[in-house]
Amino acid sequence: MIRFENISKVYPGSSPALENINLQIKAGEFVSVVGHSGAGKSTLLKLLYTEERPTTGVVSFDSANLLDLKKRELPILRRLIGTVFQDYKLLQKKTLAENVSFALEVAGKSDMEISETVPKILDIVGLGGKADHYPLEVSGGEQQRVALARALVNKPKVLIADEPTGNLDPISTWEIMQLLLKINEFGTTVLLATHDKGIVDRIARRVVVMEDGRIISDKQKGKYEL
Amino acid sequence: MWIKLRRTFRSGAKNFIRNGWLSIATVSVMVITLFVVNIQLAIIGANDLRLKDVQNRVNISIEIRPETTLPELNDFQRELEGYEQVSSVELVDKEQALAEFKSFTQSGSTIQSGIETLGENFLYDTLVLKTQDPSQYEEVVKKIEGSASAKYVEEINYHKYRSIIDGLSSELRTTRKFSLTLAITLSLVAILVTFNSIRITMYSHKQEIEIMKLVGASNNYVRFPFIWEGIFYGLASALIAIPLSFLYLKFITNGEASSSVFAFSNTKFLKDFMAVYFMDNILVIVSLQFILAVMLGVVSSLIAMSKYLKKF
Repeated sequence: MIRFENISKVYPGSSPALENINLQIKAGEFVSVVGHSGAGKSTLLKLLYTEERPTTGVVSFDSANLLDLKKRELPILRRLIGTVFQDYKLLQKKTLAENVSFALEVAGKSDMEISETVPKILDIVGLGGKADHYPLEVSGGEQQRVALARALVNKPKVLIADEPTGNLDPISTWEIMQLLLKINEFGTTVLLATHDKGIVDRIARRVVVMEDGRIISDKQKGKYEL
Repeated sequence: MWIKLRRTFRSGAKNFIRNGWLSIATVSVMVITLFVVNIQLAIIGANDLRLKDVQNRVNISIEIRPETTLPELNDFQRELEGYEQVSSVELVDKEQALAEFKSFTQSGSTIQSGIETLGENFLYDTLVLKTQDPSQYEEVVKKIEGSASAKYVEEINYHKYRSIIDGLSSELRTTRKFSLTLAITLSLVAILVTFNSIRITMYSHKQEIEIMKLVGASNNYVRFPFIWEGIFYGLASALIAIPLSFLYLKFITNGEASSSVFAFSNTKFLKDFMAVYFMDNILVIVSLQFILAVMLGVVSSLIAMSKYLKKF
């Protein structure tokens, strides 16, 4: 479903961020991309949600070449790809429920659909009782769960999680991981970038190891080994 | 489309309210902008009224020789009325002139007792003449002096006043230029300040814009709440600035009118301006103000956020 072919990414005046990347991800997979900071994990994921463009190579999603998409088609692509980040990226001036419904509003869903879906999805991530709180009034783990809810509410085909547990304590981390696994069980492809050895080893799924912008190993049921 | 407009409106309104201090700061700057522009415009308006007033006061008094008979005088008056430049000719006979003169001076003063001792009316019958346009006086005076009726004329006092009138008119024109440049300069300064403060507001939205795009919002969907926000800034500031300017002008024109030479302290004409011009055109002024304020808000918002939208 997702193909990176001969990708390289060079920022002017620095060493290449990505070099000769070839990677295929099938629908429904759960792939962990691991490596040190600066190994190129985030850059690789950014190519997929088109925040960055590769210097050379092709990124395709559902057999569509992302580089051929027009600027006004990008928002539609982004609705098919859910994203979660280390810093949650919630809108601070909106309540938790509004943060989730925003993703639906943007997609042009009806008010009725929004008012039905939002409480449901907040319940799924265990935040039903805090819908009217603002992001700063809840814990980091809870903020990340809202971010997950927002990422899922448009039923994306792929969920990209870039260091989603980087700021969380072990318990919250595990809660988020369980949610990610559950999401994957329902059929959403999950791409997780992390440097948390513990969780990668514990979930025992496909692991892609990166170093200095290259993929150095790619194993089904892998472990975090550098 | 409608659903988008409605949603972005709602989110713009929420932004405006939840931004709290930032909104207050932006609106205050815009209020000051509009206020300064309003006051300058009022001063220009008052100044124009004053110029018109001076021009209206200018007239030519033609003093008639005492030996002129009444029919001759009437013929002369009709002749003058026939000039195409002349708008009115009024006869002030010497009795009337003396009565007016007396009423100007205090009873019991030396001038009054002087008049009494003199025993006879020392004034002349006078034709008071006005032209369509003050610039035509020179021409008319020359025409009279060249005509056959010049024999009735004792003196034309236009020459006496001319330098004073010319001086005053040119002073008023200078004041007008001064006020206008001041208004334009201050407006530019204020527009820049407003633009800058909206830019700062937008900077605070930087991450928000990034997130909105990430969730899959189109550029327009991101833009619209901020356009609405700009509209709210405009509306709120016009709503405050209009009554504020009005009250301020009312306050300084309150009480005894002073007619100082300086436009700034000349409240008489400011008062007239308020009473006549401002009240007559209040709808135009208010709606123009709203449009200007909203445009200022929207354009500033759009320019300020464009750089965050370009990124991806």
